[in-house]
Amino acid sequence: MVRNTITIDYTKCGEDGKVDPRKCGRCLRVCDPAILLMHETIGREQDPHNPSYWRITPVWTDLCTRCMKCVESCPEGAISVS
Amino acid sequence: MNARNYSDQLAKEMNLEEYLTEQWRLFEQVYIRKIMGFSSIGLGYKLKMPIIGRLLRRSAEGMIHSESKNRKAFRADGHFGQVIPLEDAKVILGGLAAEPIIENYCMCRWMQRGMKEACCINFGVLSGVIEKLPRFIPENTKLRLDREEAMERLEEHNRKGYVATVWFQPVPYINAICSCENPECGGLRLRQSYGLHTVYKAEYVVEVDPDRCQGCRSCISLCQFGALRFIPSLGRALVDQSKCFGCGLCRHACKHDALAMVPREQVATSKGHY
Repeated sequence: MVRNTITIDYTKCGEDGKVDPRKCGRCLRVCDPAILLMHETIGREQDPHNPSYWRITPVWTDLCTRCMKCVESCPEGAISVS
Repeated sequence: MNARNYSDQLAKEMNLEEYLTEQWRLFEQVYIRKIMGFSSIGLGYKLKMPIIGRLLRRSAEGMIHSESKNRKAFRADGHFGQVIPLEDAKVILGGLAAEPIIENYCMCRWMQRGMKEACCINFGVLSGVIEKLPRFIPENTKLRLDREEAMERLEEHNRKGYVATVWFQPVPYINAICSCENPECGGLRLRQSYGLHTVYKAEYVVEVDPDRCQGCRSCISLCQFGALRFIPSLGRALVDQSKCFGCGLCRHACKHDALAMVPREQVATSKGHY
């Protein structure tokens, strides 16, 4: 079985990147099977009731069809699918 | 429809305020965190592994339905729901649901699509918990609703094409009626893509009246579960009752009164299949 590997470069998008996924979120919306998930970065929260560090993790990777829409939609070129 | 399952008294006895605060504070992390060495990342691959896959499925079902004293809030133990038609949801909001009733941003659409939509109706002790978390507080709509307003909002969402679901959180305490979509909903995702019983089907299935159906196909676009299709040779819609969740959304589209809900238990092939 060939597994989908989807990686996100967190130096470009995420808590330390230029882009805050809460403001962009393009990849989340172009994905038909909705395999990407946005969440607070574990271990980085300052205010647990109002977290400000967010990133995207590919979670349901087995459902990825490799349509590459997320790769094309990312303004920072932070996503790669193989 | 046991009133006790909605009561503040039950929430108090179970000491749920703290539990729910932790669950909602960390909700978006639930699929990322490692639980007994496994996170939900690549869940489909993990469930296909020999032996381990089966053990994983069993322990996931155990957590989802857990009534144990040591259940963990950060992994949302004991949190599962059922699809309900609008009529039943209104009965809950009209009387059973404990006050205060609030409508907050849907957590699932937020984490899966980055969208903030106020369509999640919560009640009882949970309302107070969510009110302390700024990311769920709607900016342009009312947070606290009275029973009438809650019923109106739910009907609005239902007619738009969102499936009403009622939730244990944690079982047996009931405190939410959501308006879900497949696959954005965290519960429907696990049920539909991975066969885990996070959401049960409703007590009904839909039936098409072949004499009344005019073949306009409007109902088909509202079905989130692929249970309805149009058959060109017959010129009408037909339903696959094994796929029907009994949400009743399709009825909103029908102008000819051709779709009816029948109790699941009366249909031989659907009986007992939740």
